Amino acid sequence: MGDKRRGRGFAAGWYGIARTATVDRAGAWAELDDGGTAKVVTGVTEIGEGILTVLAQVAADELGVRPEDVMLGDNDTSRTPEAAHAGASRQTYMIGNAVALACREARGRLVAEVADHWGVDPASIVTRAGAVWARNSNLRMTMDEAVRLCKGRGVVPVGSGTFASQHTGLDPETGGGRPWQAYVFGAQIAEVEVDTGTGEVQVLGVWAAHDVGRAVNPRGVEAQIEGGVVMALGQALMEDYRLKDGYTTTPGFAKYVLPTSLDVPRITSVIVEDPDPLSPLGVKGVGEPGMVPTVPAIMNAIYDAIGVRITSLPATPEAVLEALRGTRDRQPGNAAR
Amino acid sequence: MSSLELDLEINGRRIRRTVPAHMRLLDFLRDELNLTGAKEGCGAGECGTCSIFIDGVLMKSCLVPTARVQGKKIETVEGLARRGELSPLQKAFCRTGASQCGYCIPGMVMAATAALRRNPHAGMEEIKESLSGNICRCTGYQKIFEAVALARDVMNGMLPATALDAEVLGDTFVGASVRRLDAPSKVTGALKYAADMTMLGMLHMQVLRSPYPHARIVALDTAEAEAMPGVEAVVTHRDVPGVDGFGVFVHDQPVMARDKVRYVGEAVAAVAAENLDIAKAALARIKVRYEKLPAVFDAFEAMRRGAPILHDTARDNVVMHIPIRRGDVEHGFAESDVILEETYRTQAIEHAYLEPEAGLGYVDQDGVVTIVSPSQNVTHHRHALSRILALPINKVRMIMSPVGGGFGGKEDMIYQGMLALAALKTRRPVRYVFTREESIVATAKRHPFVVSYKMGVKRDGRICATSMYMVADGGAYGLSTEGVMRKAAILAAGPYNIAHVRVDAIGVYTNNTPSGAFRSFGALQSEFATESHLDMIAERLGIDPIELRRINGMRDGAITHTRQQLDSVSLMTVLDAVAKAAGWEAGAPTVRGETRSDLGAAGNRPPCTLGARLKTRETRDSWEVA
Amino acid sequence: MLTCDEYRMPETLDDALALMERHKDRYRVIAGATDLLPATRAGRLGDIHAPMIIDLSRIAALRSVAVNAERVRIGACTEMARFLDAPLLARHLPVMLHCAVWFGDDQLREAATIGGNLVNASPAADAAPPLIAMNAVVTLESRDGGTRRRRDLPLEEFVTGPGTTRLAQGELLTAIECDSMAGYGAAFEKVGHRRSLVISTVCVAALVRVDHWPGRFVDIRLAIGAIAPVPSRLRECEEFLSGKPISSATIGAAARLVSARVQSRTRRAYRAEVVVNFIERALTDAAVNAGVAFDDATRMKEVSHV
Repeated sequence: MGDKRRGRGFAAGWYGIARTATVDRAGAWAELDDGGTAKVVTGVTEIGEGILTVLAQVAADELGVRPEDVMLGDNDTSRTPEAAHAGASRQTYMIGNAVALACREARGRLVAEVADHWGVDPASIVTRAGAVWARNSNLRMTMDEAVRLCKGRGVVPVGSGTFASQHTGLDPETGGGRPWQAYVFGAQIAEVEVDTGTGEVQVLGVWAAHDVGRAVNPRGVEAQIEGGVVMALGQALMEDYRLKDGYTTTPGFAKYVLPTSLDVPRITSVIVEDPDPLSPLGVKGVGEPGMVPTVPAIMNAIYDAIGVRITSLPATPEAVLEALRGTRDRQPGNAAR
Repeated sequence: MSSLELDLEINGRRIRRTVPAHMRLLDFLRDELNLTGAKEGCGAGECGTCSIFIDGVLMKSCLVPTARVQGKKIETVEGLARRGELSPLQKAFCRTGASQCGYCIPGMVMAATAALRRNPHAGMEEIKESLSGNICRCTGYQKIFEAVALARDVMNGMLPATALDAEVLGDTFVGASVRRLDAPSKVTGALKYAADMTMLGMLHMQVLRSPYPHARIVALDTAEAEAMPGVEAVVTHRDVPGVDGFGVFVHDQPVMARDKVRYVGEAVAAVAAENLDIAKAALARIKVRYEKLPAVFDAFEAMRRGAPILHDTARDNVVMHIPIRRGDVEHGFAESDVILEETYRTQAIEHAYLEPEAGLGYVDQDGVVTIVSPSQNVTHHRHALSRILALPINKVRMIMSPVGGGFGGKEDMIYQGMLALAALKTRRPVRYVFTREESIVATAKRHPFVVSYKMGVKRDGRICATSMYMVADGGAYGLSTEGVMRKAAILAAGPYNIAHVRVDAIGVYTNNTPSGAFRSFGALQSEFATESHLDMIAERLGIDPIELRRINGMRDGAITHTRQQLDSVSLMTVLDAVAKAAGWEAGAPTVRGETRSDLGAAGNRPPCTLGARLKTRETRDSWEVA
Repeated sequence: MLTCDEYRMPETLDDALALMERHKDRYRVIAGATDLLPATRAGRLGDIHAPMIIDLSRIAALRSVAVNAERVRIGACTEMARFLDAPLLARHLPVMLHCAVWFGDDQLREAATIGGNLVNASPAADAAPPLIAMNAVVTLESRDGGTRRRRDLPLEEFVTGPGTTRLAQGELLTAIECDSMAGYGAAFEKVGHRRSLVISTVCVAALVRVDHWPGRFVDIRLAIGAIAPVPSRLRECEEFLSGKPISSATIGAAARLVSARVQSRTRRAYRAEVVVNFIERALTDAAVNAGVAFDDATRMKEVSHV
């Protein structure tokens, strides 16, 4: 009849941030705008990961406004500076830093005027969450007033920023080179229940610890890890794009099956922050690395549960049961929990 | 064709319309009423992006003939926040960050609404079952579950309404979980994706695709299709004025097949017509004569002498070979106490973003060719399109529409070129929306890998040498294969100190669906092999698998396999962190499942047994929001 | 896409049968439409144009349920969801409750009909094995020269192969009649590649009536789907168990009788193994749901309580 057996598996992984083995770059424009709001224009590509919110947070801190005060220009190659693609886990690193630099320049313009107006050292000026003040003084105004003051003196507080990550190509013979400047590391543990009667694997829990550099939005980081883990679970257990003589046999979502709400584990993320020393913000990335250790962690957990090594993906019920048949001589235990 | 006079109520408003009787409810909502919150993710009831209520019952509107809703009450996602105030569930989705790309979210919000309407006290297992007809590809569902539990508890008075408000923030924001700025537009269905957009005078495009994996195009005659009333243009490779080729790394894929087709589903010709029906009918009138060619479907076979050649530029069918060499692996194996060899195989997988590809193309008043599409890489696309159209870069404009999931699959310019050519030829806006089936057959997949692995270790666990020979099926075109091979190779041996490393990553052309960029870009495949292999080594040596990583793991100042020095390496920190979080019981991986003491920890869910609503009603469970 | 010249929604069965008689060969009947609409997409079967579509959704009689002491009669357009929420059906057809939770998802269950599932005759149709186990008979009706005709066929004979049935031109499957199984313990086992919206690789339906003292099987109903072109009843198993004492050993012996039945060429070895496991499980679960307590040390499986 088969029984249910549990097991745990571990796997680690690493990843490089931004485009590989070639210089990566991104640009951004920023403006402190009327009413103490801000405009950030950059060719960023929000694909659902939440990068717009991340950039608004970065701009808010750099400029001294609130995230909801920031208007972000959407990606349009004729209207925004180049910031390149959504990929390579690069956007927080590349565009986050470019936006920070653009904001610093815009803020510098504003602060210079305010400092001159107050007759204080620009370095003493703090801009934070819509307020502007000089340290060790009672000089204070709102960002709205500061922008008006600045414009009244004939200065529009704008700035631009460009950020580069210096990577070199690989030697064609040895592969030697410096493909990235920022690396991240991660490790995951998966707990599974294997039904030895059907070969079904249910992943019940995944614990995922990932270094992401400085985490701009922790909930957003978790969301990237969670989404990555489940996408990897699909690859580990069920997804399989099949072709027969070049023709697909999985033409729709009835045959190409994806994980549903009933197939996913509970996921516990542990965010490790090892700031990047080579960039202004100390951020790195998380879009892709979150899914790298999941598949082997699940396979190793299946082994822990039933002593079967799945080396060809996916571990469908058929594949698991077939492998189990191969190890039938092993003494069956009684391990249902 | 019979038409139908419909009289029904939608979101509290009475609607009367005359529509074709066989029209699907989803099309009625989207095309007739501009209620585009319901999306067409699959058109076959298999994804849930189109979920709506009919007389209070949740249904997939792609499977409902409009005739059936005569006299009924329809509620769409637009009806949930009718007076501008989000429903508690919508607020909860915003609060927990339950939306990412947002394409599944209107349907998901409707399914969650149905779950709590049926049972306001539903436990998490029942909630999960209620959501199980709605696929989400971005979130991993965790934040969605959290949102539904939160809304349930607020609606039941177990939590105050303020629990739905955005997190209270201080006066600095980096490091705070600031609520996603785009969440309200996603939970209400207000956000317009490319397929939701229309333009005045817009034409509809359909694409004729290759029925063969490898064939020469002997003749391509579009005259009959072009002569059809309502057809504004048929475009083929003959309309390409510039250098015809796209692909992020290798530009070897023409906008539409030129002299031959190299995979089933490759674009051959495109029609722009007044409506979709005419465009589809015109496809059938395009005459293509093919001469079938021998095809190759296996990467190893493709590398053999005498195999069919796909591209004249690569007579050996090799797209890219990336080698990594460090030390002398043979020496390393000779030094080893234990040598383990194994072969690993990974399969092709589909990105399966819930938003099928879609886009609009038009030529603006200044002659700028403009494409609005959910592209992950507009910068690259503008360069590619400028080359293809032989236009200066400032005469090409790419606008990114909201992306309903990408995962690497929307990096290549697989349809934007056809839109541009059709817009140039007709001087009218042209829209093209893929079906799910088209998206699956025509777009890139994750590279399947075969990894031949050999590792030598000392008895104490130190890795002496790693050799990995990896062959990946790149499919019919180059796309991102070069980059995928590079990343796979660099990261393959893992974050471990190994004196002797030999890695080869070889991407190969075959007549399969092209492989391209896919989240984690080759690293998933190569690291799967390494991390599986290390588990076997740990078993063989009787060492705890985490300990084995500690023995070999890179630390600050480590030199990578490409001989780069890393100043800061956080590997030891993440190893400790995950072991602690999971309460890992150390021990060698010797099939300990039956005897482990760390199973069933709090971070697990219960196994799914189905039928939760039939069992004892749960009211509180482990998913409560603190 | 499914297109038509005329879309008709008759309100009575008579009207539907009259339309079918009048428009011979020119119509397509739709019930839940959950199979036909996906099938007619480009890239699958492709476009289908029917001069007339006859939509059965307005015919209340096709949704009626009648129960007498022995038999249950279910209108063919009864949606799968009703097996979960109609107490009458749950009481008399306990196995359908277990089957319905595995069927599609909440939304498809509200559209998909029991009759549609049978007429489409997929080898993996989830509703067929439990109905066969309950001695289901299908009622086929037609009109000929203005006269209503009716014939009843055992469901086992009705389905002849993948996608093929004995439904004749002009005939409509109007009702399914099966044994009332009130008091039986029931179970339904299914495996696919995930747990929702999933096509069965193997499914098994079991119903058992037991004599608690001295602990014997009195009546067993067992049927299996997805392993052969048509679903089938496992009579050899049923007969073997009838009157036998309830124990894991007897259940195991019964299960081993049937592994040779697997005909599906794909994944044959897998199916053969799962069949045996499923029969054991289904019988055990059904017995537990009939109130049997197993104290067998070999029994590990978590029991689902319904």
